[in-house]
Amino acid sequence: MADSLQGIFWIVVFPGFLFTVLLGLVASWIVRKVSALVQWRVGPPFYQPCVDVIKLMGKEILIPQQAHKIVFMAAPLVGLSGVLLLATMLWRTAINPTEFFVGDIIVALYLMILPSLALIFGSSASASPHASLGTSREMKLVMSYELPLVLALIVVIIKSGGQLGLAAIAEQTPALTVSGMLAFLVSLLCVQAKLGFIPFDMAEAETELAGGILMEYSGALLAIWKLMQTIMLIAMPLFLVMVFLGGFGAGLLAGIGKLVLVLVLLILIKNTNPRVRIDQAMKFFWVYCGIALAVAVALAIIGNNYGIAWL
Amino acid sequence: MDWKIWSLKKSPWVFHVNVGACNNCDIEIVNCLTPKFDVERFGIKLVGSPRHADALLVTGVGTRQAVKRLQEVYRQTARPCVVFVIGACACGTGIFHEGYHVEGPVDKIIKEVDPNAIIAYVPGCPPKPEAIISGVVKALAVL
Amino acid sequence: MNQSELNNKLAQIKDKLIAFEQPAANRIYLLCESENAFVVNRFLFEQVPARFVIATGIDSDNCFEIIYHYSYDQTGCVINLKAFIRDRDNPSIESITPFLPAAEWIEREIHDVLGIDFRNHPNLKRLILADDWPEGVYPLRKEVKK
Repeated sequence: MADSLQGIFWIVVFPGFLFTVLLGLVASWIVRKVSALVQWRVGPPFYQPCVDVIKLMGKEILIPQQAHKIVFMAAPLVGLSGVLLLATMLWRTAINPTEFFVGDIIVALYLMILPSLALIFGSSASASPHASLGTSREMKLVMSYELPLVLALIVVIIKSGGQLGLAAIAEQTPALTVSGMLAFLVSLLCVQAKLGFIPFDMAEAETELAGGILMEYSGALLAIWKLMQTIMLIAMPLFLVMVFLGGFGAGLLAGIGKLVLVLVLLILIKNTNPRVRIDQAMKFFWVYCGIALAVAVALAIIGNNYGIAWL
Repeated sequence: MDWKIWSLKKSPWVFHVNVGACNNCDIEIVNCLTPKFDVERFGIKLVGSPRHADALLVTGVGTRQAVKRLQEVYRQTARPCVVFVIGACACGTGIFHEGYHVEGPVDKIIKEVDPNAIIAYVPGCPPKPEAIISGVVKALAVL
Repeated sequence: MNQSELNNKLAQIKDKLIAFEQPAANRIYLLCESENAFVVNRFLFEQVPARFVIATGIDSDNCFEIIYHYSYDQTGCVINLKAFIRDRDNPSIESITPFLPAAEWIEREIHDVLGIDFRNHPNLKRLILADDWPEGVYPLRKEVKK
């Protein structure tokens, strides 16, 4: 009984929903503020993402007449729950690596695909031609970046000597090796695509598709999508930090520094690139990233077999 | 409720609709988002879908073809919402008063669907971005 | 060709024209009846050759006029062909779209607002009037008030 209460506390308050959402809103504001500064603007005030979510909760929910209502309303909740569980799992392992917490890297990979699936289901249920275009683009994008992400994680698993537990993986710092650095760079771009940032935001293309996948959503359902994207803004860099950069082992401050570093890299890539077409994105992920990762996996295996640490 | 209007004032998301404008007012609206005027510091964001929007920025004299479309877009905007009517043509048909294709100023078209619509007028041909920002800020203060 | 050679070339179809006016060095007005407009247009587009710019429809005192504007880019000369349509009740003229596809939309627009029928036009559908605009009401004619 106390166990389940403690579990609920972990998921809802710390380090689950409330904690990650607050951090995520701060990260969201950092993204907008840095983007504004890069464009020589002033940008929104500190509380802006928070007020955005509050305002969305207060608007009415409009559901299209031909939409599949159950899937339409359940999709954001599924996405939010998946990414929330992922964030809780990652934070628990980061803060308390010795204590066994459910989940290893396979579970993390599985949970990471839930938000994308939820987006696809939600927009398919929208019964709108723009949303269906967004759906097809999102599906193609997911098929493109999942493969390089898994290959990059294979490099990590080779580096950690075959262990799958997140705590064991977080002790290594693969980014300091050649193959690990290659894998880190590729997975950074995969995370950029998963978060829906430019240059890979063709699914929710505002100027082309009038909102794309989230076009028919309004009010509280849109607020849940925004919360899901906010939590992903913390969960995905945290995953990268733990898997590639050595986690929170060197102390809390170092861990937060690494998180901010990954976030700043994402923001800089976002602000200096135009949006690419979906066929360009597919070619990029399958051909260029695939070849780079094949080389990385080969280097990692060679390094592992012959004991060369920096390879 | 009070918190709804307060949060609406702090973060109004706008959707731009052109119902027959010469594009001058549209250019001035997009100018507001550029670094010189930067309305993102008020929380104003240009969104792609009327369902995400709190304010409609309507430009252009209401042409006959656009009447049904504008009414449909207004119905799709989630309440509570405000309509900003930008430019002399939209406020009162401007120089196209005698045109054969003109179906009346924009507020007449919107009031057919919703007599209680909240409409704010920003006249000018085209209104300068300073005028648009001032109009938006004044309207939000009165809400 | 320079300007004098252009004038000489245009003299070849003088028999189809009512008048040849040149108010300035690089402005030429050719006036003709609507029956000859097709041949003159073809000559201007294919033989001169001049670039078709746009067409204008006018509701004049006792006739309709269609002015075809051509540009001869080598000398900067603008050649305007005025075709008079005398029949005000059933105005009709041969369409030049079969050999000049660029004229398709402007002829549709003139048909929409002035009601001039273009014979042999491949696609004479409504272009700029609203979907629920009543048929047979041509807004730019003099007798139609708002």
